[in-house]
Amino acid sequence: MNVAYFPGCSLHGLASEYDRSARLVCRHLGINLEEIEDWNCCGATAAHSLDHKLSVSLGARNLNLVKKMNLHMVTAPCAGCFNRLKTASYELRHNPSMAEEVAAIIKAPAPVETEVSNLLQLFVEQTGVSAIAQKVVRPLSGLKLAAYYGCLLTRPQRIAQFDASEQPVSLDQLLQALGAEPVIWSHKAECCGGGYAASETDIVIDLGGQVLEAARQAGAQAIVVACPMCQANLDTRQKAIEVNRGQKYNLPIIYFTQLMGLAFGYSLRQLGFNQQLNSAVTLLKQRGWG
Amino acid sequence: MPDASGIETQAFFKTIKLDAIDDSLPQEIKTACGVDVETCLECGKCSGGCSNVRIFDITPRQVVKLIKTGQEKPLLAMDALWACVSCQLCGDRCPAGIDIARIMDYLREKAYQKGIKATRYQVQLFHELMLGFIKKTGRVAEGQLIIRFNLKTGRYFKDADLGRRLFLKGKIKPFSSKIKNREDLRRIFQESIEREEDQ
Amino acid sequence: MSTVKTALVIGAGPAGMEAAVKIGGAGYRVILADRADSLGGTLRQLCSSFPRWEDPADLIAYKTEQINKCPLITIKTKTTVVAAEKNGNGYLVTLGSDGLTSEIQADAVIIATGFELFDASVYGEYGYGSFDNVVNSLEFEALLKEWQENQGKTASPGTVAFFKCVGSRDRAKGLPYCSRICCMYTAKQAGLVKELFPDSKCYVFYMDYRAAGREYEEFVRSVIEQRHVRYVRGRPAKVLPEDGRLLIRAEDTLMGMPVEIAADMVVLAAAIVPGPGTRQIARLFQIKSDEYGFIDYNRNEPAKAGDRVFFAGACGFAVETLGAIQQGAAAAAEVIALFNQPNGEEKNA
Repeated sequence: MNVAYFPGCSLHGLASEYDRSARLVCRHLGINLEEIEDWNCCGATAAHSLDHKLSVSLGARNLNLVKKMNLHMVTAPCAGCFNRLKTASYELRHNPSMAEEVAAIIKAPAPVETEVSNLLQLFVEQTGVSAIAQKVVRPLSGLKLAAYYGCLLTRPQRIAQFDASEQPVSLDQLLQALGAEPVIWSHKAECCGGGYAASETDIVIDLGGQVLEAARQAGAQAIVVACPMCQANLDTRQKAIEVNRGQKYNLPIIYFTQLMGLAFGYSLRQLGFNQQLNSAVTLLKQRGWG
Repeated sequence: MPDASGIETQAFFKTIKLDAIDDSLPQEIKTACGVDVETCLECGKCSGGCSNVRIFDITPRQVVKLIKTGQEKPLLAMDALWACVSCQLCGDRCPAGIDIARIMDYLREKAYQKGIKATRYQVQLFHELMLGFIKKTGRVAEGQLIIRFNLKTGRYFKDADLGRRLFLKGKIKPFSSKIKNREDLRRIFQESIEREEDQ
Repeated sequence: MSTVKTALVIGAGPAGMEAAVKIGGAGYRVILADRADSLGGTLRQLCSSFPRWEDPADLIAYKTEQINKCPLITIKTKTTVVAAEKNGNGYLVTLGSDGLTSEIQADAVIIATGFELFDASVYGEYGYGSFDNVVNSLEFEALLKEWQENQGKTASPGTVAFFKCVGSRDRAKGLPYCSRICCMYTAKQAGLVKELFPDSKCYVFYMDYRAAGREYEEFVRSVIEQRHVRYVRGRPAKVLPEDGRLLIRAEDTLMGMPVEIAADMVVLAAAIVPGPGTRQIARLFQIKSDEYGFIDYNRNEPAKAGDRVFFAGACGFAVETLGAIQQGAAAAAEVIALFNQPNGEEKNA
């Protein structure tokens, strides 16, 4: 299967281990990711906050590049990018005057044909959970994980058209297929503070703190994410949250693709587990996985 | 301003002459955002679940109500515009399907265009710096963005230790990638509102 | 004997029972069919009633006695309608019971198939089906019965929060209409909890409370003023399990401020919807239902659904017990008037 790949700025930067593990896992599953040549930033959250048309144009240019590659579908591993691409696509499809203006800007017909999916969606809807289960050579038995979807992977439901926005299950099912044990917990689809880690750190300490506390109460040994913003907020601000709440968490924040790779037999180093601040390496090595 | 009970009182309490209000603001929102505020049931489900409502001066429900009553001034000046994290929980739960996040984007854009100073200066600055990066290179180099942001806000040592740790983990790249098609970028930004070139 | 006309009443809740009593009392035969194994319908599941705190079991016992006394009424429990076709001035109806079928000739039909509750798991934000102690209003009625029976022996439920309009008045995820009875039964449920457990705390989240009925406003006020149930105006946004309890987040829309309640139990007043049986019956008798599946009425004849077909109770729209009984009597009056015509012909057919 050939799918256009929109890594987004984070996967070329802070989330390089997400990029690496995503590519490894896709190759393993026979998905040929073709990175969009000359893609541009999706603009989240700055563009849509200050200039709606700009945000749709940024997305439309990327969707048009996919069309030029003769590919039908683009996948975005980052929930923020997914949300912006999907929103741009929705606007082009439902707002004719916007579509016309944007077509003039990108000098191409509005790319309404291109389908947008997030990476988790690609796995559960295109590959299928049972096909993934068959590839598991190292079941992640006994690992208690909090599947964290965050706010934008499933929202708004009207636009995202993926899973359920309040009690999503796809990541839980995927983790189960890997042999792990997803916990039942409260904050799987609440917000961690998104793009405010640098500009309004207090917001992330408040919202991210609620997420960490909920995962702790549910008995999770790690939180599994599908978004670089969630990973960055919960990992890099965890120390500050611990100080703020007077509570040790020590919770690794892991990309789901890293766990897929681990279950498929790749090494911790290949999957970039060493790149995270609250490292899962000890937890995983204790179990003889490495 | 907090009163004796510690409860924040709202600054815009004054008599609104309802019969003197036309429906231009609701119409404007309908045209721009495709949202009919008359469908609002005023139930408050948006506000109850809002990620940041604890630090909002005007709740999402009140935002919709103020649109109904044509109160543009408090809407463009409100702190909530800059405290909103765009998580979309409000609109996703709205029983009338009102896209409140889109309304917030629209109001923020309008306030910005009118030059109304953001109450959370650093949020607006962060957005501006980010757009500056995109305008120049088509992409964002996160590490550089954060360093520039901290320098601009005079917080020279904020996150310095964190930055060093992330650099050692191979998470911050010294160079940023650029896109080749500059012409596309120029056109995309030409159409967008003029703002000061980022230095 | 064959000249005595027969009415088939489908559903033996308060509406169907009342219709059967009236038609039987007027000297016509009645076949009262219900899929359950006894009479009473959903009323059997309910604990107490509004606005007079009466026991629904007493009402069921009274109506059952009237039915049993009337030799013209045949009760067919554990029975469903399998097929129906027009046959002369009536219908040939196939009834199914325990895998066996039988045919009857009905000169008129009353549909009284009741309602069911909207599936509250659609609201993932409330965690119904995901979290313990989030129940719908009928499940809570069962708990109330249990508590009432074991009075003094059960621990207090602690803090109970009631959410109204779950599925009602929601054009995004639910139904646009008001389910009409939830305001009243929620007041009753909360009032009962406070009576059984005076030290418990009860909160009712509401958008408006609609108490349009005889003694209804007084009933709700008494629950607030004498039983101290707290009413909070605002539709809850989220239920989050925390520290073994359920943290509820909402806005108090009168204050315009976020509020939280740590509750031990959440009761969802799920919308009233017609059951799948009602749709099937409507198809069999070729009568119209509205877009939600409620049986539609003929203009000027609110109890009439089609040719010799009438209806009563919640299969036509959400209605309280008293209203269902009144509608049952009205549908019975239509049938009796029809049967009283020379040759049983409808004047305005």
